Amino acid sequence: MRGFFSSRSPLAAAAIYAFLLAVGVYVLFPFLWMLLTSLKTETEALQIPVAWLPVRPTLKAYAVMWFRKNYAVYFFNSTVVSLSTAVLSSLLGALAGYGFSRFALRGRGMLMGFVLTTQMLPGVLVVGPYFKTLSAVGLYDTRTGLVIAFLTICLPFATWMLKGFIDGIPRELDDAARVDGCSWLGIFARIVMPLVLPGLVATVLFAFLLAWGDLLWVSTLTHSESMVTVTLAIARTVQEFYVNWPELMAGALIGGVPSILLYLLMQRWLVQGLTAGAIKQ
Amino acid sequence: MSVGVLGLRLGARRGHARERIAGYLFVAPAILLLGAVLAYPAFTSLRLSFTVAGSPRGLGLDQYWLLLRSALFWQVVRQTGVFVAASVAAHLILGMLLALALNRPLMGRTPLRIMVLLPWVVPDVVAGIVWKWILNPLYGVLNDVLLELRLVQAPLEWIASPKLALFSVILANIWRGFPFVMVILLAGLQAIPEELYEAAAIDGAGPGASFRHITLPGLRKVLVVALALDTIWEVRRFGLIQAMTGGGPGTMTEVLSTQVFKQYFQFFRFEYASAMAIAMTVLLLVISIPYVRMIVREE
Repeated sequence: MRGFFSSRSPLAAAAIYAFLLAVGVYVLFPFLWMLLTSLKTETEALQIPVAWLPVRPTLKAYAVMWFRKNYAVYFFNSTVVSLSTAVLSSLLGALAGYGFSRFALRGRGMLMGFVLTTQMLPGVLVVGPYFKTLSAVGLYDTRTGLVIAFLTICLPFATWMLKGFIDGIPRELDDAARVDGCSWLGIFARIVMPLVLPGLVATVLFAFLLAWGDLLWVSTLTHSESMVTVTLAIARTVQEFYVNWPELMAGALIGGVPSILLYLLMQRWLVQGLTAGAIKQ
Repeated sequence: MSVGVLGLRLGARRGHARERIAGYLFVAPAILLLGAVLAYPAFTSLRLSFTVAGSPRGLGLDQYWLLLRSALFWQVVRQTGVFVAASVAAHLILGMLLALALNRPLMGRTPLRIMVLLPWVVPDVVAGIVWKWILNPLYGVLNDVLLELRLVQAPLEWIASPKLALFSVILANIWRGFPFVMVILLAGLQAIPEELYEAAAIDGAGPGASFRHITLPGLRKVLVVALALDTIWEVRRFGLIQAMTGGGPGTMTEVLSTQVFKQYFQFFRFEYASAMAIAMTVLLLVISIPYVRMIVREE
């Protein structure tokens, strides 16, 4: 920290600001470029040399994507699937996190190792058999099937994050409630959950981002137009022979904005949740 | 009296057993669900990977022999290695520099810290296509700037050229991934007590010495976490490459995850694809088991 850039000379300060400015441009420029391109007409987007600003900004690309190209449906699918995944995985993760945090289970280390290890498995290892199983039980190409699939990505993270947060709540509160005759589930619901709310928010948000951003599962577990999600739609559009870039950039922003907004609203909790496990000594 | 003690102890034991059952009930839904939707398909894949051609019930290493003899497989392994190593190294270097800079009292530090995580927040598919557009050979803004500054003579074929394609994908992935590493490292930096630096300064340690002797040791655990998680995630990365190049041109940006996907769902070589997925899983487990053990042991 201080160590590296410790000298307080104006030259060092200028160098750091220059570095931060460069990083700022690097980070933000692609977003800005997405936005600017999405406001252009196709002719404008394909000018050589590049026309930086749209002369007459238009929302036509958004209108085309939303109304003509079914992005409203894709957006709905992404939202329903991601929200369900986020809520379910956080709920199940909170229960499991509480169990791991508070009970001296036999084989606890092994079970926790199992949860952590499932998080390391590559999705491509399981999509194939999973596809066959879903087809067999009639859940292929349904939102329910997708939610169950996303649970496998989100649940290990959720369990782990929430266990960390629950560890931070003093056990004495549980014991006191126990003496007063409160059931374990009652303690979980009425004492632990309210106290761990920031962690719960972080977990819900993180699970939402994971589910919303997935491409692998949606491209294997759906095939009909009415089940397509936003990420799948933009990934398909970019592979078409002819790409309308303003429309694609509008689609990309439609796909990115929910994540960005949710993150900006809840960034404090997310960053806490992400780093809690890493810096705990 | 002895009866009373015995009764008490029995009661305590009964309470203990009930407590344990309650504990299992809390973790059961998650464990069972993970077992059903992950462990079971994983075993199916494992079984499939040992299929012998022409004998549906036989078990053998045929698929693995095919895999080991395939030049494409080794090319994909190399490309995955380059993709992961370059991405993770750049994430760590850039993340560390930025974390160090943002850990100082600066104007506009908080908004910058919030903003920097944005590339990591959006779906990696979005990152892939926006970079595909920026790197477009004809209409892309990067070529336009490079030509304008006379850094290149002719527009570069970022994505269509076999030489630059993998580099282009890595470029996009660096943008997407360094913010997460930065956030983890910054949290680690903030956990190092300020007094250590003050004491070192009094002892006459320069910036280089205090970085080596205070910052790096203080960040050890955080660095391991960031390195392990980032490596695991980059080995599994799929959406960014799939959206940006689809593995092309030819197979020049094919990595393990996109290749397994293709073998399975485009060429329908289920057994072969499963063997490749198992190879990938072994690689991931080798990377992650020491990490998992470290984490679980700390509990």
